[in-house]
Amino acid sequence: MTAAARSVVVVGTAKNAGKTTTFNALRAVAARRGVAIAVTSIGRDGEPADALDAEPKPRVRLAPGTIVALPAGLVPRSPALAILDAGGASALGTTVFARVVLPTTCEIAGPPTARAMRATIERLRGLSTGPVFVDGAIDRVAALAGGGDAVIVATGAASGATIARVAAVAADTVARLMLPGRDPQREHARVIVVAGALDARDAEELLADARDATVVVEDPTRIAIRGALFAKLRAAVDLRCERPLRVVACTTSPVGRETALSPRALVEAVARATGLPTFDVVADLAA
Amino acid sequence: MIADALTAERIGLTWLRAAVAPAGAFGRRHDDATPVYGPGDVARAHAEIADVVALAERLERDGVARLRAALRAVPEATPVVARARAGDALNDVDFYELGRLVDALAALAGAWDAAGGESHRRPPVLDALRAVLAPGRDGAGFYLADAFAPGLRAARAALADAEAAADVRREAIAVRVRDAIGIDPVGDEFVVLRDVYDGPLPEGVRVVRETPTYRTAAIGVLAPERDAALARVSEEEETARRALAERVARETDVVGAATRALGALDRMLARVAFTQRWGGCIPSLRGDRIAFCDATFAPLADVLAARGRRYTALSLDLRGVAVLTGPNMGGKSAALATTGFLCACAALGVPPPARTASLALLDAVIWIGGDGPEDRARLLSSYAAEVVRARDTLDAASPSVLVLVDEFARTTGPREGRALLVAFIEALRERSAFALVATHFDGVAESACAHHVRIAGVRDGALDALDAGDLETALDAINAAMDYRIVDARDGGATSDALALARLLGLDGRVVLRAQALHDGEK
Repeated sequence: MTAAARSVVVVGTAKNAGKTTTFNALRAVAARRGVAIAVTSIGRDGEPADALDAEPKPRVRLAPGTIVALPAGLVPRSPALAILDAGGASALGTTVFARVVLPTTCEIAGPPTARAMRATIERLRGLSTGPVFVDGAIDRVAALAGGGDAVIVATGAASGATIARVAAVAADTVARLMLPGRDPQREHARVIVVAGALDARDAEELLADARDATVVVEDPTRIAIRGALFAKLRAAVDLRCERPLRVVACTTSPVGRETALSPRALVEAVARATGLPTFDVVADLAA
Repeated sequence: MIADALTAERIGLTWLRAAVAPAGAFGRRHDDATPVYGPGDVARAHAEIADVVALAERLERDGVARLRAALRAVPEATPVVARARAGDALNDVDFYELGRLVDALAALAGAWDAAGGESHRRPPVLDALRAVLAPGRDGAGFYLADAFAPGLRAARAALADAEAAADVRREAIAVRVRDAIGIDPVGDEFVVLRDVYDGPLPEGVRVVRETPTYRTAAIGVLAPERDAALARVSEEEETARRALAERVARETDVVGAATRALGALDRMLARVAFTQRWGGCIPSLRGDRIAFCDATFAPLADVLAARGRRYTALSLDLRGVAVLTGPNMGGKSAALATTGFLCACAALGVPPPARTASLALLDAVIWIGGDGPEDRARLLSSYAAEVVRARDTLDAASPSVLVLVDEFARTTGPREGRALLVAFIEALRERSAFALVATHFDGVAESACAHHVRIAGVRDGALDALDAGDLETALDAINAAMDYRIVDARDGGATSDALALARLLGLDGRVVLRAQALHDGEK
């Protein structure tokens, strides 16, 4: 968390990968240090149970002084929040910007569009002296591309049964999200701009025909290929994006639905595979 | 005043409606509910137009722009007001929105004063509602402050104490977890791997989930005092909201009246801005003639100004039916459109952009010439569309209908077309309708015994010295050479200047020369 990245977005490699746990840990650390923060969410969060699998989800408890952006329909009636501003629309009503006065537990949801999400983060930055934390969603992180936000990738046993598998998925995800931005000084003479998603068919064509080219997508989330095919393409062409993301760290959750991995081994494996600082915020480990 | 889509587009009514659209939601609602002026509304239309002209002279132009921006910023509080009036519970976002309304109206009143508005017409402010909300307002925001209910301060203090006590207990449990298991539980939940620790969990820790290899545990602070304090705060806050909502409800009539006044002001300022941009006069609305002096067809002037071309103000005195002739590209259609546009201005309570005007409040304006979207949808040819329109026009024609005819029957044989046009004009005269009929047919006015006016046309010799260039250059040259004024046809005959214009527009010179020879031979 630095002055250069006044907003931090947490995304997960899979459901129950520890995203909200990481989000809550960030908030808890800020609270311990007396740092006032602002929070919002891409998508809906803070429900008692996951909407898809009914698994219990961590509640979002907000400390006094926290600035929160949430739809009018989710503003808790009690304890009352101090309403600071309102504007923009979501499926759940106008986005309300409020300051927590007494500790409260609530749902958080963000606006539906990329532009509105960007505007919400900017408004939170204006209202808060501290960092903005965003409980994100990997399929909607495109909203933040090019914005200079720091991205933390939460991964864990929910995305693989073995440490090697979890580390591989994390490395693949991070490599895609860290796709470099365009650099006119280093581009090949031939530049291919891929409109929309770059899928497996596009990848096959590029591998056959574009080995001496710079291939540009709009943002990292437009890369729709995974695993070996992505690695092969990345090695073969100069793959770049118009609006890059800035991934700064990973977190690990060693427990899956029926499995538990070694926390320390997992932290170390993910750090090795991604080349990023990696933390287990529950077991208090770092690598 | 009725005008179908083709007419509305041709006479600039669609443009005019957009140009005088109110800035805010209140104004749009007011506008939607205000009928267009018709023949029986002379006094009201005249009063509104006079009011607009007076305000346009009084208010500073920049000030009007600022007032309109302030109107645009007034939040839509109608749903909140309606719920308050009905006795529904309001929430804090509702109170915040009412606060924004109070602030926006105060800003509007300030803008009115700064623009030089008269004090007796100052936009309304909601001081009583401001006073009601004041305890909860710090700047632009809103908080359900302790002052709103006598028991609120004590209830919140008790909750804060209970929260602090619960935090102490939670921290004590966290210390036990650190001591027993070696984990620092940052949040309330944490994971205990069985191969790290499989013993009993410390007091105050409950198991949320258990698997053969790990347990998810949570620090569970039992805090009945906090729960009770929270319930009391909730109760006191609802009491405060009910009391506040009741006080707001008592202000709803004032708020309703203010928003209605805003709607009327918004409509008025839209017209004032238009008048400051285009000028405007207070017309006579006697209805016996449609006459104007130095009038501007604003939609066309707007386009010409954007292209750096000059616009010639038009004058006309139309009593009954007149035939308009003149050269190609001389502005016959623009003259027709200007006539309809000025009547549309009067119908909408907008000062017509002219030095003077005597207009009629009409039941309908009808444009005949070319085909509109409805005609195309009915798969009518241009001629068929015109004839069907002519048929419908004769059914509707009356002294309060203006018919604008743009080269009727140009797509059929000229002899039959001319005859049909003469007969049509006679029929319009029998019905005492207003009509301006543009045509290239010769002798129509004389045959139909109608007044004859013409576009003055190309100034003598003005095209001779010009060479064909690119299209834009040619259009600029034609614009400079053309005298677009409407003059009495008795002052001299007009030519169409079709061949000279064709040459200037770049048609092969040999073709033009051959045409000239053929034309001279016919003469």
